[in-house]
Amino acid sequence: MKTPAAFISQKPPSPLFLKFTSNCNSRLLCANRSQTIQCGQIKSFENQPQKWSIDFKSGSEPIHLIQNSTSTAATSASESASRTMKKVCLFYCPETHSLAERVAAQSDAIELRSINWRKFKDGFPNLFIPNAHGIRGQHVAFLASFSSPGKIFEQLSVIYALPKLFVSSFTLVLPFFPTGTSERMEDEGDVATAFTLARILSNIPTSRGGPTSLVTFDIHALQERFYFGDTILPCFESAIPLLLNRLQQLPDSDNISIAFPDDGAWKRFHKQLQHFPMIVCNKVRDGNQRIVRIKEGDPRGRHIVIVDDLVQSGGTLIECQKVLAAHGAAKISAYVTHGIFPNASWERFKQDTGGKPESGLTYFWISDSCPVTVKEVMSKPPFEVLSLAGSIASALQI
Amino acid sequence: MEDKREIKAKKSQKKQVHLFYCVECEELARKVAAQSDLITLQSINWRNFADGWPNLYINSAHDIRGQHVAFLASFSSPGVIFEQISVIYALPRLFVASFTLVLPFFPTGSFERMEEEGDVATAFTMARILSNIPTSRGGPTSLVIYDIHALQERFYFSDHVLPLFETGIPLLKQRLHQLPDANNIVIAFPDDGAWKRFHKMLDHFPTVREGDKRIVRIKEGNPAGCHVVIVDDLVQSGGTLIECQKVLAAHGAAKVSAYVTHGVFPKGSWERFTLKNGENMENAFANFWITDSCPLTVKAIANKAPFEVLSLAGSIADALQI
Repeated sequence: MKTPAAFISQKPPSPLFLKFTSNCNSRLLCANRSQTIQCGQIKSFENQPQKWSIDFKSGSEPIHLIQNSTSTAATSASESASRTMKKVCLFYCPETHSLAERVAAQSDAIELRSINWRKFKDGFPNLFIPNAHGIRGQHVAFLASFSSPGKIFEQLSVIYALPKLFVSSFTLVLPFFPTGTSERMEDEGDVATAFTLARILSNIPTSRGGPTSLVTFDIHALQERFYFGDTILPCFESAIPLLLNRLQQLPDSDNISIAFPDDGAWKRFHKQLQHFPMIVCNKVRDGNQRIVRIKEGDPRGRHIVIVDDLVQSGGTLIECQKVLAAHGAAKISAYVTHGIFPNASWERFKQDTGGKPESGLTYFWISDSCPVTVKEVMSKPPFEVLSLAGSIASALQI
Repeated sequence: MEDKREIKAKKSQKKQVHLFYCVECEELARKVAAQSDLITLQSINWRNFADGWPNLYINSAHDIRGQHVAFLASFSSPGVIFEQISVIYALPRLFVASFTLVLPFFPTGSFERMEEEGDVATAFTMARILSNIPTSRGGPTSLVIYDIHALQERFYFSDHVLPLFETGIPLLKQRLHQLPDANNIVIAFPDDGAWKRFHKMLDHFPTVREGDKRIVRIKEGNPAGCHVVIVDDLVQSGGTLIECQKVLAAHGAAKVSAYVTHGVFPKGSWERFTLKNGENMENAFANFWITDSCPLTVKAIANKAPFEVLSLAGSIADALQI
């Protein structure tokens, strides 16, 4: 069955324009050379044929921001860039501050706005949106993160308030849609908290721009898309293009095979990863044990990248890794869009510095959808963070 | 007023009600169920997944089909809202005959002021979330709230819920009539807001009204030689009550007590009111009555003078019959 193209956007990251907002030493890595260039020498990357990726080496931010575009859609968009770009006022919660700054850095059309997040003595939020008059007639967006249930109410209060401030449109960017990753509706007494969250979001007031757009990446259960009412416009994005870009940069990019830990992951992602050889695993749970075996494909001598939408305890990934190593994989890496890692479970993942794929990973890529995790794993090999900033900036232009 | 209601309830059709409750409210739920054979307690499995998100299961989901169902909630902090809302959104869809949400204390908004565009009314957020409860076969959900803080908050709810605004004052009146000095009681309101809310229900007591919060002074009435009971809907830090007590004592009040429906007392501020050894009795409250709308406070002040808890259990059991 074909997945309708409208649902999964493969928009490549944002326009060719680049703006440096902080003073830093950046190293530009292109194809086979590396060269240090000071900020200020870079005016624009318009019409550059090479692929660029930028590593911010100052401070402690090794976050990969992919700045190239490979599709015609983006090229034509950038040609008429100044005419069709929407100016967007971007609000954010304390957790998503860094990601919001990266998004705003992608484009002059995106402007950061702040909110006063305080609490009354009784623990309930005391919120204020400064310069509320200034967003009248503007396109407004809010970058949310529900890392725990306690964070929902204060962000929701802002999300319900913004559309009513005479804005011209409202977009909610919720990179990771939590709940529902472990729950199963098997019995009539089971309570689907994913549905609760979808109801709460479907109840966002409409603004002058109509129903709120809801941007989310790699939603866990494909059927969750149907949990939303017609009062909201979900935009289901994927972060896989970020992985594709990163893989193309690797020296052994022609020796890569993709492994899926289960049929669910294969269903979600195989179409976006078609030009790689694939391995599909089977996951069988037995109490606390996870028994994984290879259903199809051959890892012998290859650099295997295990791909899934999210990781919790990491048990599934580790079992996959063992099976793949046992079947002759030369190197093993992993990619998940959402690094949830409750209780610091990321600590289980060590780096393989050469020849020991059964005990370590070469790379573990995650996106910055879960900011609490990003803080913890940044600069800790084998972890590498691929930023959603470009993809979000593009989505805000829809 | 409430006597008439009691008689009516006994005469009218009696409803069997299945009462679910949140973890905090277990004690109050048991008291409510003890009020009447018609009320049966039901249970929910409240667990969490490793990622901190709720893992919930409604026991006996099939048995409540065709039954009147209620849920006793308590939103003592933002962190406990989501798990209770998940259950509240799920119960009406289990083919129940009707659904009632009892939320004795409606939090948020007790400090906030909408003065400027940019102020965010979290009370409105809460009302929206509750207004979005799915309808059941019994129609819109009934929503029972005691002594809502801002009278205008009643208009925050959409037509998809039926708010029922109750009060804890009858419990106070009953308690006052039991006191040995019942004939010497004067009611004091710390501000105009409290007076507006409560004076009609207490009109057969002489009253004292105090001025604006910043400078507490007596606006009308004379407390000299009387047992003055300060009445308000809720208490937070207790600052207002303490200031009132000083003014009343200075004007010759023989004893000063307090009643609030909701003992919010953030950060243990109830400690300011407990009787300490050797303390100057002039600054003490003779009685401090609160209801059990805020279960965490009730636990904290258990058996600590001058606190006394007046239970909403009977009132809730009656409301479930509406």
